[in-house]
Amino acid sequence: MEVNEKMIRQVIEEVLAGMQQEKDTTPQSAATPSHNEELFAEGGNAERGTRKDEVVVAVAPAFGKYQTDTIVHVPHREVIREVIAGIEEEGLTARLIRVKRTSDVAFVAHDAAEYSGSGIGIGIQSKGTTVIHQKDLVPLSNLELFPQAPLLTLETFRLIGKNAAKYAKGESPNPVPTMNDQMARPKYQAIAALLHIKETQYVEKHTKPVALELK
Amino acid sequence: MNLIAGVDIGNATTEVAIANVSDRNRQDFLASGIVKTSGIKGTRQNIHGVIAALKQALKKLDRSIEDLKLVRVNEAAPVIGDVAMETITETIITESTMIGHNPSTPGGMGLGIGVTVPIKDLQYSKPNEEVIVLIPRTVDFEDAAKSMNFVLHQGVNINGAIVQKDDGVLINNRLEKKIPIVDEVKLIDKVPIGMKAALEVAPAGGVVEVLSNPYGIATVFELSGEETKMIVPISRALIGNRSAVIIKTPKGDVKERHIPAGKIFFEGKKRRAEINVDEGAKKMMDTLNATAPVNDIKGEPGTNAGGMLERVRQVMSELTKQHPRDIMIQDMLAVDTFVPQKVKGGLAEEFSMENAVGIAAMVKADKLQMQMIADELEKELDVQVEVGGVEADMAIRGALSTPGTNIPVAILDLGAGSTDASFMNKEGKVKYVHLAGAGNMVTMLINSELGLDDMALAEDIKKYSLAKVESLYHIRHEDGTVQFFEHPLDPKIFARVVILKKNEMIPIPYDFSIEKLRMVRRQAKEKVFVTNALRSLRMVYPTGNVRDIEFVVLLGGSSLDFEVPQLITDALSQHGVVAGRGNIRGIEGPRNAVATGLILSMNEKGGDSL
Repeated sequence: MEVNEKMIRQVIEEVLAGMQQEKDTTPQSAATPSHNEELFAEGGNAERGTRKDEVVVAVAPAFGKYQTDTIVHVPHREVIREVIAGIEEEGLTARLIRVKRTSDVAFVAHDAAEYSGSGIGIGIQSKGTTVIHQKDLVPLSNLELFPQAPLLTLETFRLIGKNAAKYAKGESPNPVPTMNDQMARPKYQAIAALLHIKETQYVEKHTKPVALELK
Repeated sequence: MNLIAGVDIGNATTEVAIANVSDRNRQDFLASGIVKTSGIKGTRQNIHGVIAALKQALKKLDRSIEDLKLVRVNEAAPVIGDVAMETITETIITESTMIGHNPSTPGGMGLGIGVTVPIKDLQYSKPNEEVIVLIPRTVDFEDAAKSMNFVLHQGVNINGAIVQKDDGVLINNRLEKKIPIVDEVKLIDKVPIGMKAALEVAPAGGVVEVLSNPYGIATVFELSGEETKMIVPISRALIGNRSAVIIKTPKGDVKERHIPAGKIFFEGKKRRAEINVDEGAKKMMDTLNATAPVNDIKGEPGTNAGGMLERVRQVMSELTKQHPRDIMIQDMLAVDTFVPQKVKGGLAEEFSMENAVGIAAMVKADKLQMQMIADELEKELDVQVEVGGVEADMAIRGALSTPGTNIPVAILDLGAGSTDASFMNKEGKVKYVHLAGAGNMVTMLINSELGLDDMALAEDIKKYSLAKVESLYHIRHEDGTVQFFEHPLDPKIFARVVILKKNEMIPIPYDFSIEKLRMVRRQAKEKVFVTNALRSLRMVYPTGNVRDIEFVVLLGGSSLDFEVPQLITDALSQHGVVAGRGNIRGIEGPRNAVATGLILSMNEKGGDSL
């Protein structure tokens, strides 16, 4: 219980800090970074893409902003870099957005797919859980799901970007090989739940995804 | 009611026809049944299949086995086919002279020539030096691009790069000078350093042109006429690739080696001949034809060819409980094919399509097996069982129940294990042959040419047409037509090539284009069925000329295939022959011919057994 109270306190503080920050961010200063550690510059509402050669990468509310690394401390900056590199290697372009309305990775990824001109999107949670999605699928279905965040390495993220780009090109890639660890669940379940709760604190319901730019 | 059953035990299926034979000249066909043959044709295990097929047919009539008066079993031609495959060439690269693999996304394009330098030593390169950079896995693409841009400013001419990771496009996008980059070279540390190398990347959709041309290589490396002769295998190995690297080392070479696969001996009735398997299928078939009719075919002991043929003999001898010496291999179909094999000494785990020979062999044993099955069956069923006429005879009688047929007629029975042909002349005399090679061989060819290692998948590719899932709501069939769906398809098959098996779509878990799969499938069918159709018809027709045959009726499981009948009809129409899929009794399609023939032939035998 103590832990919980502490955590809630911390979360509330963070939320308050976030709200404060939002107040500070006037339209004029939106372009200038208000927070040095933030990975992205947030723009206005993201547009729905029309280009067939793009893959939209959507990050969850806290990604690169309130949290900076995954559950196994892979820095978010590196994660995003590898995903984009994977897409670029296949000759496509990546577009970044942040989904604020939910922290559920399935919906984050589905929003990405809906905003993507190619219909293919990638959703990444702060703790690292990732989904490749297609716009015609129902949200809880997916093309490829990487549920065991603790086992995702930078190499896997590169391949995820690569595969998403291949789907966008209409090729049929083999699913990204992933490891499976029976111990991942007991070992990380508690912290995963915490991280997810922390992410969920930043959910702003009924908001549209915003465009992001890598700093 | 006199219920009579005709039973045909085939290599793959056991078929049954049931008729009410009221008097000597009237047969009313009531029902038919079909099940998978249990065990290998001509063995005791078949009985379970026969009983299952009888029950299946009788159930449609609400009858049981006790109601049967007589069961007639075909005097199955005691032939068994088996298939085998042998690789006869291999490619060996010595001293890492060549990288000829096909990464899906190489960087840049064009031709670059220079001396190989690892990226960590790049700083020591002097201005105006021509270099090809080697970038190992440990160097990040941004760092690599940065240091390359740095030395470019110093005046070093970087003309190309060989990369271990899949970073080709990434590095190229960050370079100030566009150079060709070959990536995914897994064993980059084996690339010789300080050697002159040429690197070529073709534009998307293109293939290398300079390095696949011996004179192109000669120009690049300033080779003499003698030396140019030596590099022909290298240029040949690079044909069709989008990217390639050639490194000039003092002793480097690429060889295509013939693997000694052993000899095959043909013992004809009149003469003998022998042939090396590595001479290819065409020569083997020519030799076979030259020695026809053949008594036995043997392989050289202790070689792959020997092992292949003796295995067939062994299996047959175990089944029939005869000495292997008494088992004669009477026909063989050899087919040239390709097998993807890893190149020995390759730096990027390249695969090369090596030549291989696929062989189907046909074994003839004695005829007593069927009588034994009939006796056992009689005990089990408590119904009179007799062995009917010769299978080929029965098949023709059954085939003639196809509307629109007339004698003289030839039939082609395309099965799983063998291709049988028989011909009936105006006088009703029948001549027949059993040839090796049918459906099972097609499956084997598809399996090996695609490198699947999965016979069930190869079987599905053989049997059903393909489609590409282009979106979750539509697929494009292999002929180009689009089909839409109201409900979204399973995401597991999204963007994949699928096999349209009845109501399922089975995704193919490899990255093959639909065109490639279709080509391999059709060629395998042509190599086996068209070849065998012409070969067998020549044998049964008195003049030996296919042109003289008027009607050919296609029967058997493989003629149910969606394209084999077209392929054969097409091939035969060039000889002016009318060929088409049979329709037994106007309702059964190409199936059930022998079972039907067994009942129809009763009255001709007098029907005494009634």
